[in-house]
Amino acid sequence: MSIVINPETDNTFEDPGKRAPLVLGGLDYGGVTENVASLWEATRPPRAWYITLGISMSFMAILGACILHLFMKGTGIWGNNNPVYWGFPIVNFVFWVGIGHAGTLISAILFLFRQNWRTSINRAAEAMTIFAVICAGTFPGIHIGRVWAFYWLFPVPTEHLAMWPNFRSPLLWDVFAVGTYATVSVLFWYMGMVPDIATFRDRCRTKIGKLVYGILSLGWTGSSRGWHRYEAAYVILAALATPLVLSVHTIVSFDFAVSQVPGWHTTIFPPYFVAGAIFSGFAMVVTLLVPCRQLFGLKNLITIRHLENMNKIIMATGLMVGTAYGIEFFIAWYSGVQTETFAFYNRAFGNFWWAYWIMVSCNVFIPQVFWFKWARTTPWFMVIICIFVNIGMWFERFVICITSLCRDYLPSSWAYFYPTEFDILMLLGSFGLFFTLFTLFCRYLPVIAMAEVKNIIPRGGHGDDHDHHETHGSPAVAGE
Amino acid sequence: MADHNKKKTESDHPVSRLVGLLAQFDDPDSLIHAGTHAREAGYKKMDAFTPFPLHGIDEAIGIRRTWLPFFVLAIGLSACAFGLFLQYYSNAGDWSPIFPGYAFMISGKPLFSLPANIPVAFEITVLSSAFAAFFGMWALNRLPRLANPLHRISRFRRATNDRFFLLLEAGDEKYDSSRSRQQLEEWGATAIEECNEDLTDREFPKVLKMAGLILVFLLMIPPVLIFRASGGTSRAPRLHFMPDMDWQDKYKSQVLAPDFDDSVKHTGLFADGRAMRVPLPGTIALGKLENDTEYHRGFLPPQSSYTGELPVLGEKLAGQFNLQDEKPEGTAEGAAAVQEGAAAPQDPNAPPEPNWVTEFPANVPVSRELVERGRQRFEIYCSACHGYNGNGGGLINQHAMALAVNGQAAWTAAKSLHDPTITVQPVGRIFDTMTNGRNTMGPYKSQIPIADRWAIVLYVKALQETGITPAVIAPVEGAPETTPATKPAE
Amino acid sequence: MHKQRPAIITSPIISLNKAYVRMIPLGLIIGAAGIGASFLFSAGDFSRFSFSWLTSFCALLSMSLGCLFFVIIQHLTRAGWSATVRRIAEIFAMCTLPMFVLFLPILLPVLMGKGWVYEWNVPGWSGEAASPMEKLKEYYLVDWFFAIRIVAVFAIWGAMAWFFLGNSLKQDRTGDPQISKTMQKHSTWIMIVFAATLVFSSFDLEMSLAPLWFSTMFPVYFFAGSFLSGMAVLILASLLLQRSGRITDEITIDNYHDMAKLAFSFVFFWGYIAFSQFMLIWYANLPEETFWYGYRINMDPETGSRGWQMMSLALLFGHLLIPFLGIMARTVRRNKTYLFFASIWLLFFHWIDHLWIIMPESTPEHTFNFSLLIDIPMAIGMIGIYMALFALIAGDRPLIAKCDPRLGEALNLKNH
Repeated sequence: MSIVINPETDNTFEDPGKRAPLVLGGLDYGGVTENVASLWEATRPPRAWYITLGISMSFMAILGACILHLFMKGTGIWGNNNPVYWGFPIVNFVFWVGIGHAGTLISAILFLFRQNWRTSINRAAEAMTIFAVICAGTFPGIHIGRVWAFYWLFPVPTEHLAMWPNFRSPLLWDVFAVGTYATVSVLFWYMGMVPDIATFRDRCRTKIGKLVYGILSLGWTGSSRGWHRYEAAYVILAALATPLVLSVHTIVSFDFAVSQVPGWHTTIFPPYFVAGAIFSGFAMVVTLLVPCRQLFGLKNLITIRHLENMNKIIMATGLMVGTAYGIEFFIAWYSGVQTETFAFYNRAFGNFWWAYWIMVSCNVFIPQVFWFKWARTTPWFMVIICIFVNIGMWFERFVICITSLCRDYLPSSWAYFYPTEFDILMLLGSFGLFFTLFTLFCRYLPVIAMAEVKNIIPRGGHGDDHDHHETHGSPAVAGE
Repeated sequence: MADHNKKKTESDHPVSRLVGLLAQFDDPDSLIHAGTHAREAGYKKMDAFTPFPLHGIDEAIGIRRTWLPFFVLAIGLSACAFGLFLQYYSNAGDWSPIFPGYAFMISGKPLFSLPANIPVAFEITVLSSAFAAFFGMWALNRLPRLANPLHRISRFRRATNDRFFLLLEAGDEKYDSSRSRQQLEEWGATAIEECNEDLTDREFPKVLKMAGLILVFLLMIPPVLIFRASGGTSRAPRLHFMPDMDWQDKYKSQVLAPDFDDSVKHTGLFADGRAMRVPLPGTIALGKLENDTEYHRGFLPPQSSYTGELPVLGEKLAGQFNLQDEKPEGTAEGAAAVQEGAAAPQDPNAPPEPNWVTEFPANVPVSRELVERGRQRFEIYCSACHGYNGNGGGLINQHAMALAVNGQAAWTAAKSLHDPTITVQPVGRIFDTMTNGRNTMGPYKSQIPIADRWAIVLYVKALQETGITPAVIAPVEGAPETTPATKPAE
Repeated sequence: MHKQRPAIITSPIISLNKAYVRMIPLGLIIGAAGIGASFLFSAGDFSRFSFSWLTSFCALLSMSLGCLFFVIIQHLTRAGWSATVRRIAEIFAMCTLPMFVLFLPILLPVLMGKGWVYEWNVPGWSGEAASPMEKLKEYYLVDWFFAIRIVAVFAIWGAMAWFFLGNSLKQDRTGDPQISKTMQKHSTWIMIVFAATLVFSSFDLEMSLAPLWFSTMFPVYFFAGSFLSGMAVLILASLLLQRSGRITDEITIDNYHDMAKLAFSFVFFWGYIAFSQFMLIWYANLPEETFWYGYRINMDPETGSRGWQMMSLALLFGHLLIPFLGIMARTVRRNKTYLFFASIWLLFFHWIDHLWIIMPESTPEHTFNFSLLIDIPMAIGMIGIYMALFALIAGDRPLIAKCDPRLGEALNLKNH
């Protein structure tokens, strides 16, 4: 499908000698501030915001009620049973933790690769990470049965307990990994927000706003000496967050891979899970940002090029996941281990074949539409694809966890897994929690990292000035 | 701060201080040019203010590289070491005197499993490094600093939006209010303003001080209450926050059943208050029938109604061998009993002697191995009183007799196994002595399995074959001889 | 405001020029000497000689593949910083094709069924296979199918490398920026095919040495070492070419900084992958997987030798811990002398890595089998031949992509 590309509104053209402008609409520094801060300063956010908040809060209430019921009645209300002892809670946990990884990738890894297009999306993506980690952390937090004994998870020396956590267990590594990830993400996110909160502080007209934003911005003045140390800390945190994001989903994959269950114990799990996490995370970022940019008028900052780049990353990581599927299949046969071969056969043709084929079609087949430029650059269409990707990734965790458990070594132990209504309600409720937090974030905190976006505007001060100082590359044919 | 910069008021207390000259620039490049000029003009104490980190400003105004990365590295490496040590301490052994670790042996992995300990050590490293970077950066930037005089300048609000500022501090050597102003205009400033600090800003707000005091006061209440309670007693039951499974609605054995119904006490499941029934009389556990009387009791079947109560046979035998002349004075009641038993004629009402087996029962494999086994078992169970050679030299016997001399214990001296009254006893009799006890010798039925008892009998017989002289039990200080028999060996 | 450096090459001589004529025979002589010495010292043990050959071969092949990956990814991500060093990487990548000839001394004996290297080359290696499914493995690990796969992957690599080198050279002549666009467009599916070839070639070349062992992580492990060594050799070659005066200041200190950053991150990535593979196999403790590591990290129970154990420790420290701490600092990454030694260190330990993978399979008892007289001369010889291949391909072609549309970006790169 050929579209007339208007360079004023569509910056997805490919011209090797030029870098496409990342800020459209001729916005200068002040324009960027206005664009972002105005939505915060508006007296009333758009009606869609209220509707979204209402719906997500009701789902969140469902989650709260289910959790209360769980505390009173115990974990028997779930479908976890013999032989599938790990069911929806861990699947949901891995799903949400995976989604969180995209934010850190955008913030940290793309920063280290000097990808300037990340500046419009990193704030929202980091927020998404934190909210996803909150949703993820809910599940291990509530599933321990005797919830009041949660402190046994931490190495707190106590007289009466005389025992320590088992540091050899991957479930305990999860506690440290997800805890570290949540903390570092919050630190990184907050640190990034301080200059923008300072902007809000300086524009704010209400007394309460000035007080709150004043305290939160720590008195930031934009001092260059301050920026120098700030940038040093930012680079350090980015450099720390990169191995951290790899390690978190690696450790989550260790929950499965250190076992001896066929289908679980395979050494490629760490990078495969990380790739899958980024895959689903980016899909969620796209799903969130397309409505955001539409409703809040951020199209000049979150441009089609940004969306297209994200879709390309979705493609790449999706193919990595597909490659991992292929390698696993091959080795399942090559290894000659009968139970391993059976495990993979069972996934495709056993009693959960329907889950497997949902997973494969959503993860491998459907994202292939992104080979086509139209699909990559049409916002409403990419949201549909990304929702399918997320469905596929949830089913991937479901397939890995549950099919391997429901049919492992001893045929006499085989059984089907039936989720209960609470399993499903909690999954839906977790989406409610996630969207509630994100909706509130959009209203009260800077959605786009204004300072960073201003940094990438060419020094002339105007957004789509083609003479970006880093792309001075007129192809000169030198004599030789 | 140099004194000459303070402005004095009438009351001679300085309330404001000149910070410096703040110049506004409208685009980043002009700020960088101005900064370069300023540095070249010799200004050292100055700073620039921009809405985003401006590349080039560091060189322009001479900002040195921060040492934050080294700090983070140091913290990170220490944290890594700490993480490994924590896991070693808590999972690999219990050597510490306080809060010792607990050595988990899980699936045969080494106690200090380094490969399994890497993930947590890594996470601790990253977390600590992140804290070091985050808090270190704010500390180096001296933030939070909520009372910055620059915020009082309304123009400065655009520093976080779209304007760029340069501050030449009054404390700098080159600073001169009119000349610096002139220079700034030359360098392209679009607006120049003096920045003064209101020194009252530096004071902690009164409201917050009050609130802080009240908060501290409130926070003191719980520790005080706890301290008060810690020394005292209370009749009220403890607060039990986490019931866990401390009160279970189930019946337990050997314990009175819980009160389910407050109106009825200790209902239990059955009328007698128990939740279990005793076995019917005559119930025999599986494998405990023991119907081979020769093997299990040491006598031949016709005496099957025998319940194990025996007369003091030793005394009867003693009568046969004229031992009644001997007065074992070492034992108080025992001596009396012996005397009685020796003196009294055979009591016709005493139950008849069982028909002791004189040969080992068929299922006792008499062999050298059994003798060895018997020896080992004898040395475990019997030698404490009877001594290693069966002559009663065991320590318990010695000590008990010493106590009995002083009247502090009742003790029948352990007979020498070589004593003629013992050597004539058939094997079944010896077996019975061991099983059911005699005088102050307790029954060993529950301690020694049957097969081992027969082995000990065999060993005793073997000992008796050695022909050791029956012992003269060593006299205790002040006590006469207490040997029940002094017959020389044959 | 930085002055923009114009996007033109200012070095007078930007190619090997006449030197390549000397380099080829020099390389071949070193090759003959080294390999000849190795052959002599192996004293007629063709198996041992072949194993040594395979080790050095795999180290160099993986290095070239790392450079090939570098080229593909730079086009795929429209990277500008690497425009000045990409041509060198393209030449290294092109070396994969003639390396097929270097593989013939392994491949031909396999086809002849000599069984010098691969256990499966000997009939009856798998014992009694239990099921028809397992029997299929004997049809997979068999001389003719192996040869087909090897020929196919080398052909594919050659075609890919030539696609990028050829187009880049064409761009030198025509200056057409659309060539970059073509290369970018095709790099997408090329990357997928590259991944597939890497997976199967790593299985064939190294994992099948222990035909009963398997690890899904193995191709990723191979890739990690491969890219790391690719970056190391790229840094080294850039330094050497600059020192020789062929390239003056086109490769700026910021380019080195970026290459060092990539090398550093892949030191960490290699460590992460190696640790994950090891830890998962150690933790689950399944005998069908642990034996491979058992030979490499345990003391040999028969001989009491700790040779492989020491080599594993050397790998841990030399391939991960020391380079990690050593290439962390900014000043290090911007110091050419330091980078020179660092890249040689990394390449040496890359060779040790392949030695550690391959050599324990060289004797049936998996004894420690490292010989200074056989393996070191072999490595030197192989490097000599590789140098000759490089010179052959580089010829008098420009060593920098003169008309790359992103050359300006690379020249003006500023790492803050």
